[in-house]
Order: sequence, then structure tokens, then C-alpha cells
Amino acid sequence: MLTAGVDIGSRSIEVVLYDGGQIVEAITAISGAAPAENAKKAFFDAMLAAGARRSDVVKVIATGYGRNYFREADAVSSEILCHARGVAYVFPQARTVIDIGGQDSKMISVDGNGKVMNFVMNDRCAAGTGKFIEMVGLMLDVPLDNMGQLTENSSEAREISSMCAVFAESEIIGLTQSGTPVDVVLRGVFRSVAKRTLAMTGKVGLQKDVVFTGGVAKNAGVARAIEQETGVRLQIPSDPQVTGALGAALIAYDKMK
Amino acid sequence: MNHEVDLVRDARRRGKGVVGIYCEFTPRELILAANAVPVCLCGASNRTIPPAETVLPSNLCPLIKSSFGYIVTNRCPFLMVADLVVAETTCDGKKKMYELLAEKQPVHILELTQKFEEQEAFSHWVSEVGKLRKKLEKTFNRTITDDDLRKAIKDMNHERSLLRSAFELGKEDPAIVTGMELAELRYRVAGDPVHLRMLEAFMAEARDRKKHGKFAAKKGAPRIMITGCPTAQGTTKLIEVIEECGAVVVVQETCSGMKPLDIQVDETGDPVEAIARKYFQLPCSCMTPNKGREALIGKLAKEFKVQAVIDLVWQACHTYNVESFLIDRFVREKLGMPYMKVETDYSDSDRERIKVRVQTLIEML
Repeated sequence: MLTAGVDIGSRSIEVVLYDGGQIVEAITAISGAAPAENAKKAFFDAMLAAGARRSDVVKVIATGYGRNYFREADAVSSEILCHARGVAYVFPQARTVIDIGGQDSKMISVDGNGKVMNFVMNDRCAAGTGKFIEMVGLMLDVPLDNMGQLTENSSEAREISSMCAVFAESEIIGLTQSGTPVDVVLRGVFRSVAKRTLAMTGKVGLQKDVVFTGGVAKNAGVARAIEQETGVRLQIPSDPQVTGALGAALIAYDKMK
Repeated sequence: MNHEVDLVRDARRRGKGVVGIYCEFTPRELILAANAVPVCLCGASNRTIPPAETVLPSNLCPLIKSSFGYIVTNRCPFLMVADLVVAETTCDGKKKMYELLAEKQPVHILELTQKFEEQEAFSHWVSEVGKLRKKLEKTFNRTITDDDLRKAIKDMNHERSLLRSAFELGKEDPAIVTGMELAELRYRVAGDPVHLRMLEAFMAEARDRKKHGKFAAKKGAPRIMITGCPTAQGTTKLIEVIEECGAVVVVQETCSGMKPLDIQVDETGDPVEAIARKYFQLPCSCMTPNKGREALIGKLAKEFKVQAVIDLVWQACHTYNVESFLIDRFVREKLGMPYMKVETDYSDSDRERIKVRVQTLIEML
């Protein structure tokens, strides 16, 4: 007997299959222009990879922006609750979750059982989100996967003052035109993203342990910037992108009991 | 809104006056006593915002921009026939917008005093209400007697008490009416008998539902209060999202809900002073301090068995936006229930993101 969590985000889809004891399969796909169809494909790919049949999966919970349009789901759950639950499974000692996804960022305070105590969400624009970092990468010609490494040894950071995706672009053009090295610009961008995200701590606090999830947690440069700003060491799951889907699969399992 | 447009046009044909208003601070009683129809001009359409932004800055609240959009495009059916517009100095954005409106239309500024606790503020407000009476007398070339005022007070008290009874259907648990249904009961025009009959018919239908066990939401559906900025037909996004998530908006502590209905006008004594006293007590965020709002939220939360409070802030509404800090603290610490602020505009662009937050709050209950 398996349960599934399907997280259909603005940029990517994650599917986790869970058997009550461990993660059986975890896969990631692109949301693209037809997220509901791509999610269905990813869901069946995951079952195929795990050698499972559709009838083996007894409960499916969808989360993320596409949750209400995924027909295979038996129920939906908020991604904030799913992230909290997923984090509690990987890091039971977590008390704060910083989640930066494709189009929003969230700060969640949790108890030891994965229950959400409070949350804040930056939901008005792309500022400081994965999409924003992607845009900066395209401008500077740096692939997402190289960003962390590129900024590892740079000693300087030129912070950008505007977090509006459009104005930031003009500001970055100004910096590159004047000859500022790419790593210095990038480090500045990461520091700005960190500050922007940490502005949310006013509402929920920053109790340890602090766990960093979402696609942006794969970017070591952003993680380092948050650690430098707070002086707190972050816990990062080995696959930070699937935490939401994992939480959904765990919640689905809880509901079976 | 079609009926309201017909009503105003018809009143006009029968020689009645039409007075546009923007806010719950304007005493409807004075306008009714002048044999005129008070009609609310607050914009509730996202479509009129782009034309408004050709003149106004874009970082202004959507209510002001939408209202002004109707003015610049000459598309407001009420404004076209209005003899006078009463403009209340609630916020800086509106106050300056009225100066632009005054270039097109006769405008009377009603100056609100903001220090609710001071006697001098009240005295000044009484004189403002008196000046509006004189202005209406001059506009319509008639005398407004104290008896005219007393009759209008009775009529408005009756209208408010009917609307209040209708909103109090939200107290039923399980819910027999939805927040959307209640939101649709608000009318732009005051003193219309058709509106009053509609309210009575709605209440009869709701009683019938209760008798037959027809409920408006699932048993145990979370009961939500909306506080903050007003909604209108066309700007009910937040109510829709909350109810799509399976909860019910049982009460609104807003100008489109219970806020203006909590206090009636005293039917004895000097009518102008009595009218002034009622409106002076409206717990709007433009007053300082505005402790009355916390008291009203506390009272309504108890009466309507509310489980969470959601604060609606229209973007760039500074007074409600800043005051939300105090309301957040009050709701969490004094009422011991979850609180969430939603800052948004009239567009649909953030609907899904609001839904994520609302759904989380509801699942947490």
C-alpha cells in the first residue's frame, strides 16, 4: 500500500510515493504550459519507476498552485502545511522553515510534530523568488547549477537596492556595464534575496533549528547569504525541492490511519 | 445595480434631488430630509482603474482609483444625475481626489474630525453636519425642518435595523446564509422601499431554509469574520476565496457589513446633534485612536461564534494597513484566535496566492 504526494508548483512538479515507512520514489518534472497534464505524467512515471500499479496507490494528495486542477488527487492540502509536515519528517528538531519556491517565499514556524504554528508569505511579486534568481542567471549567463560555486570564493558583494524584477534588471545592467565582476553581482543579488526573505521574521521569529526548503534551497549561494545575515546554520534536506510532495504523501498516509 | 440606476433616474424624473456620497460618515438622514436620494459612488470595478491612472498615481487605493475612473470616463450613471456630491475627508487620497472632482461637479466637503475622544472635535463635527444641512437647503431651495429630520431619522433607523437583522442571520450555526449572499444585500441607495422589501423577502427565505434544514455550508464549516476595508458588488474576491475553501464569512466588521449598523440615531433630543453623535462613533481607521474597532470586533466575534479573523486591506490604504498591527495583536492575544491580513486590489492576479494562505489558515483551525 502506497500513498502519493504531488506538488504542482509554478515552475516544477514533484511526486513522492511513500509506503508508511520510507520514501519509495521521488521525482521532479517541469510544470511548463500544461501543469495538470505534466503532473499526471510525472505521477505515472513515478509509479513506473517504483514498479507500482495505480491500484497500489490508495490515497493521493495534491498541493501547490495546481492542486485544485489535478484529477488524480483524492484531496488537496495547502503547501504550507505540506512543507511543515515534510520538514518534520526529515528534521524533527526543526522549528522554523524558510521555503523559497518559484513564485513566492514563505516563513513557517512549526512545532515538533510538523504542526504549523504561524506563517507569513510574500505573495505579491516575484521579488526574491526562484523565478527572480532564474532571471538574473539568464542575464548574467550563469546556469542555475553553477551559481553557488561561482560565488563561493568572492569576497565582495554589490547589493542591489531594488527587488522588483523589472527594476533589478536595470540595476544589474548598470553594474555589469560598469565592469563589476559577475560573482560580485551575484553575491549581491543573493544577499538582497536573503534580506528580503528575512524581513518576514518580524512576524514569525527565527527559532532554531532553521530548515531551508524549496527549489532555491539547492542554491548554495542563497543559503550562504541567509546564514551570513542571521548567523544561524541552516539545515537543508538532501532534496529540498520535494519536501512539499513528501509532506503531502505523509498527510495522505495519516489520513489512511 | 440596474434597479438602483432605474430608481435614481425615476426619482430624478419625479423631481427628487440626487446626492452622491462616498462614505459611511455622511448622514443619509440629512439627504432624505431634503427630499433627495443618497447614492453611494464608491467604485467597485477594476475596469475603470486604467483610465483613472492616466491622472492619478498608480500607488493609490483601488477604491479611489476605481471611483475616479468613473469620473474621468463620464461613465457613472449616478454621478451624471447628481445635484451635489458630498465628499468626506476620510483619507489623504480621497481628499485630494475630490479637488479634481470639484472641477467637474458641485462638491461639498464634509470635514471629519479625527480625535474621537475630544469634546472640541465633536463640537466641530456637529457644526459640519449643520453646514451640510444648510448646503442641502440651498441646493434644493427648501427648508429642512427638525420634523423632516426626525422622520428621516426614524426611516434610517428602520432601514439599519432591517439590514442588521438580515446580517444577523450569519449567527446561525450551522450557517443558513453565505457571506456572498449577505454581501449582496448592501445597496448603493438609501431609503428605497424596494430594497427594504427585498431584505424582508431574504429573511423569510432564510427562515424557511432553517425550517427545512437546508444549510448554506457543510456542518462544522469554519466561521470567519472579515474586518477592514469595505467590499462591494464586484470586489468580493476575498469572500469568494474564503467560501471556495469551504469556510463561511459569517460577519463583516467593515463599512459594507456591521460597522455602520451597530449604533442608531437617538430619536429624542436635538436631531442634528443626535445625527452627529451616531456618525461620530463609526470606528473607522481614519480616527485616532480607534479603540472602538477592537471593541466591535470583540463583540461580533462572540455573537457570531467566529473562529478566525481575516483583515482586508486594499492596497495603499495606509490607515487600515498600519492599524492591522494593532488588530493582529488584539485578535491573537485578547480573542485567542488566528488572524491574517490580506493586502490586495481589485484585480484577480493574486487570487490563487490568496487561496494558498486562506486554505492554510482554514486547515489549521
